[in-house]
Amino acid sequence: MYRLFLAARYLLSRPINLLGIGGVTLGVWALIVVVSIFSGFLRVVGEHVRSASADVSVWFLPDSARFHDLQTAIDEVPNVAACSPRLVHFGLLNRPGETPPPPPLLGRGAMQGGDTPFVSVLGVDPDLDRKTTALDAWLVAVATELRVKDLQKPLARIDGLPAILLGEERMARSGLRIGDKLALSTGRVERGEGGGRSLVQVTGEAIGGNRQDAPVFVVAGAFHTRHTGYDGNTAFVHIEDLRAMLSLPPDAVQEISVKVEDPADTEATADRVQRAVRRELGFERGQFQRAPLAYSWHERHRGFLEGVEWQRALMKIILIVIMVVAAVLMYATLSMMVAEKTSDIGILCALGGSPRGVMTVFLSCGLSITAIGIVLGTVIGCLSAIYLEEFRQFVLWLAGVDLFPVKVYNLDRVPHELDPLWILQVAGVALLVGAIVSALPAFRAARHDPLVSLRGS
Amino acid sequence: MNAPALSAHDVKKSYWLGKREIPILKGVNLAVERGEMVALLGASGAGKSTLLHLLGLLDTPTSGEIRFDGQPVHNFKVGARAKLRHQFVGFVFQFYHLIPELTAIQNVLLAAMMQKSVCQYWKERRTTRAAAEQILDEVGLSQRLSHRPAELSGGERQRVAIARALLQNPRVVLADEPTGNLDSETADDVMQMLFRINRERQLAFLLVTHNEDLARKCHRVVRLRDGMVVG
Repeated sequence: MYRLFLAARYLLSRPINLLGIGGVTLGVWALIVVVSIFSGFLRVVGEHVRSASADVSVWFLPDSARFHDLQTAIDEVPNVAACSPRLVHFGLLNRPGETPPPPPLLGRGAMQGGDTPFVSVLGVDPDLDRKTTALDAWLVAVATELRVKDLQKPLARIDGLPAILLGEERMARSGLRIGDKLALSTGRVERGEGGGRSLVQVTGEAIGGNRQDAPVFVVAGAFHTRHTGYDGNTAFVHIEDLRAMLSLPPDAVQEISVKVEDPADTEATADRVQRAVRRELGFERGQFQRAPLAYSWHERHRGFLEGVEWQRALMKIILIVIMVVAAVLMYATLSMMVAEKTSDIGILCALGGSPRGVMTVFLSCGLSITAIGIVLGTVIGCLSAIYLEEFRQFVLWLAGVDLFPVKVYNLDRVPHELDPLWILQVAGVALLVGAIVSALPAFRAARHDPLVSLRGS
Repeated sequence: MNAPALSAHDVKKSYWLGKREIPILKGVNLAVERGEMVALLGASGAGKSTLLHLLGLLDTPTSGEIRFDGQPVHNFKVGARAKLRHQFVGFVFQFYHLIPELTAIQNVLLAAMMQKSVCQYWKERRTTRAAAEQILDEVGLSQRLSHRPAELSGGERQRVAIARALLQNPRVVLADEPTGNLDSETADDVMQMLFRINRERQLAFLLVTHNEDLARKCHRVVRLRDGMVVG
């Protein structure tokens, strides 16, 4: 009984113990809040990436690939609902007559895409693409004045010129409107008679322009996926226009989007699609060089998603430093307490206490500080994570400072995801660290000779 | 014939300073009977406090025996010695050794908490508190229950320490210069109180003191010189 009683009295009568409690609270709070935001961010980013991707994408198709041959093979694969062809090209967008801007520096991230004139031009067949992606939803998810006029034929030619769809943010930032014209400066690789390759400028001759100038497109409207990077870096044109522009044969295809029936079986379906495509194209079993690859959406964006996950892991390590600081604080305050209470150790022994009992008194103090810190840190941490958006709004209203610019990441609010397992892990580690730093001074107290205390006064 | 409440038989105690042995007690024989008040006199360094600590099982003799009611107890394990100390011995020190964070009654109740679990103590809390209040009343501190040591005078602090020593109804009270830190008037009051308790409760007292006058009032005087009983 005396162990708990004395521990409680020591705890309550020494304000410096608040320092230890505060340290543990801060460490637990930071580990819960920051990791919760990163987890929420990871989830939201995953959803955004998912929203802009087909279930399965077939890549690295050879020049000889023809969509309708492959479509027959892919449609026979179990769990495939539909597939659509794509051409993928790159270029710089500028207004006709203006000098094309320089290409962007290497490494400009996909997250903040859209602030460069460099775009990935996707040639799609809207009738087929809407069966494999959420194209229809992307087209209606924009401001009314940027919405395409005919949702059924979003890439139909306008006044004889090919149409182009741009991300809503890019359009708003560039001040583009429906009907504006844009030139696409790009090139293509041409094989010479001797088999050599050369890069030639692409002109608009094949799609209604002249043979000197870059191809010109008319802005038909905007699209909006939830993936800001995708919206900022992507432009849609009709696949027939892109084929003509790049002088590709009819039915040529570079990438195929596949929709699956059962999302739970996406990975296995990707494997089956890959085998079917390779078989159809005459690739032998075990022949991997230049062979097409079929990726699930998750596999395709693995690098990006893992990057965010690594940042979260790194943040966990950094935040554990706070826990270490809290442990040092606790150790210092408990050591001070033991040093101040050596005279009490003598009398406790004289009254019938044992060294183990003395140790328990100080260990209970340390564990109580840890437990209070963990409970406070967990409660405040969970509440902070849940109400962080309200807090951000409040600070924005009060001081005009945006603590978390959600628009940068195309978020509606500060994301969070509280993982009970992580909270348990944080509490467990805090308890373990608290027990270790409490045990050291407590052990020292237990080894203290009570006679020294009794004679010392 | 009944065995003495507390006895020491050829008790020796040495400390080591490096490889050098420093003998403190050189074969002490001493017995304290029930209800007897024995004064232990000796100069500084004679080994009085060391003997007291050995008799109270706070330390172990280098050789010899300590007996409680005739039973050897000096070689008990740490936990058993602590339990026996709690049941058998009450300590009063020159510097009171009260815990500053606790009130007078809490300091006294601490003695009752030492060997009890939370449940045991909770069941007996009312009777224990009543006993503590009664003892504090007996030592004249019924109005000072909620005062902390810093709010009490030296004499009052020593009374709290005495009340704490008495709460568990020990067989023997070992008092190490209980009035050494008090003025003469307060010291007289405290000693009168100790004599009264000895009389009323028939408690054995071993009183370490320098004061010859005080020693003469005890039933018996034992003198310690250079680690040996000389009279």
